[in-house]
Order: sequence, then structure tokens, then C-alpha cells
Amino acid sequence: MSHANSNPIDHPEVQLASPGAYLVAYAAALGAMFLELWLVVAHVLSPISLTTAITVIALLVITVQMYLLFKLDLSKTQIWFTVSFIMTAPLIFMSIGLTIWMFITLMQRTMLPGM
Amino acid sequence: MSSHDNAPVDPNTVELWDYEDHGHDFIGTRTLGFWLYMMSDAMIFAALFAAHGVYVRNFAGSFTSQEVVHPMNAIWPTVFILSSVMTYGLGMVALKKGNKSGVVNALILSFLLGVGFLLMEWREFSELAAMGAIPQMSGFLSDFWTIVIAHAAHVLFGLIWMAVMIVQVAVNGFDQNNVYRLLNLKIFWHFQAVIWVSIFTFVYLFGAI
Repeated sequence: MSHANSNPIDHPEVQLASPGAYLVAYAAALGAMFLELWLVVAHVLSPISLTTAITVIALLVITVQMYLLFKLDLSKTQIWFTVSFIMTAPLIFMSIGLTIWMFITLMQRTMLPGM
Repeated sequence: MSSHDNAPVDPNTVELWDYEDHGHDFIGTRTLGFWLYMMSDAMIFAALFAAHGVYVRNFAGSFTSQEVVHPMNAIWPTVFILSSVMTYGLGMVALKKGNKSGVVNALILSFLLGVGFLLMEWREFSELAAMGAIPQMSGFLSDFWTIVIAHAAHVLFGLIWMAVMIVQVAVNGFDQNNVYRLLNLKIFWHFQAVIWVSIFTFVYLFGAI
């Protein structure tokens, strides 16, 4: 914890900045987006495999970004950032997953066959 | 505190907390507070992605996603926003070294890349409007416009914030207020890259499959 009188640049969150981490996160995200684009445009996979593959790639990129861009780890400086993210992530997946599940099953129960 | 003493603790006199102000982490409390705001902002995008999952094939006899979404075009705003985020990161490295001109130059470059991103989005949506693919045509189009423009609005407000920070850093240097604002804008700006990875994958690429 820094004190009010110390130089703000010495704050641990300022000192976390790392050119290597930012460049690796940039290269990984950009490379992954071009890879996903190629997979979609080249039609090398079936639609189901393609959907799964680009979902997994996107989740991997987001994980890499969370670690390298935001430095989410268990250090004394960062632990509460990490904890709040870990507690928010299930809410994100639940709100998206449950909403989609709810409406897909609603459609299956209410739509007439063949419509 | 007397936890290491062997004498029994008297509940009437024991002190369980400090009454004096010990000086708190001025920067750390603000960045954590802003991070919690970003987490709730992420829930807004969760709601939009949930709607997207429901409306993804809801074309209502209007334009299909394949007619509206062009991932080969959307890769260029992707390059711009990711580059802008990386440039801002290099600005934070300059901040760590106390390099004022380095921070200002990185923020200007990051700002220009962000403007480039918004101009490409502007062109894309102008073309959609010109061909009649407007939000009221279908559930899919309502969702597509809302999710992409919600992200673009974040980028626009980030750019306004960045312009203000360029002036504040140039005028006041790295005082305590400017340092926490630069850290918060870093959180905000880097978060836009995470959201864009999701939009490019789950809106543009899914739409083209």
C-alpha cells in the first residue's frame, strides 16, 4: 500500500506495466482473430466443429488478455481484481447460457413442427 | 491488540479496530472501484450477447446475417482496436519510467487508431442503412446494431477521456490524480479489446457461418 506522500509512479499498479506482456497479448489476439477468420472463410470444418473451434479460440484469447493485459494473478496488489473477476465470470456465463437455453427450449415447446 | 498475550481478553476493554486514520491507498482504491464498474459493464454486454444468442437466426424474412455481416471487412477494425490497445499499453510503460512525452505520444497514437476504428464502423453502418438493413427490420438486425453500437459508444467515450488525459498529462504531469486516471483509462481501454474479440467472434464470424 502506498502512502499519500509517495511518488505516484512508484505505485505497484503503475509498476506492473510490461511491454513484453502487452506485445504478446497483442500478437496472440491478432493472430487468433486471423486464424478464426481463415477457419470461417476457408470452410475447412463442418459448421458445428467450426462454431466450437472459434468459441474455444476466443475464450483462450480472452483468458490470455485477462492475464497479460490486466495482470490478474494472486499477488497482493492484484488479488481483489482477480477475485472480483472470478466471481463475475460465472454470472456472465449463466446470464448468456441460461437465456439462450430458455428461449431455445421455449421455441421447441411452442413452435408447430415444420414451421 | 493483545492476541499474543497469555492474559485472558476482557470483552469490555478489548479494541477490535483502529480509530485513527492511517492513510489509505489513494490510487488502489480508485482502480479497484473502477474495475468493479467494468465488471458491471461486462454484465451489460452479457445481456446483449444473450439477446444475440436468441435472435441470431431471427431474420423475419428480411436480410440474413450472411448478407449483413462481412468478416473480411471486420478484420480491419479488429486490427485498429487491438493496435490502439497495445499502443496505450506502451504508454503505460512510459508512465512507469516517468516519461511524459512518451505517454503523450502513445496516447495520441492510441487515440488516432481508435478514431480509425470508429470511422470504419461508421462506414459499415452507413452502408447497411443505405441498403435498408436498419434495426427495425428484424430481431437479428436490432441485436446486431445494438451490440456493435454499444461497443462503439464505449470506444467514443474512451476517446473523449483519452483526449482529456492528453491535455491533463501535458499540463499537470504525473500527479496522483492523473496517475489513477491513466490507470483507470487503461482498464477501460484494454477492456474494449476483450469485448471486441467477443463481438468479432460471436457476432461477425458466427454470422458468416
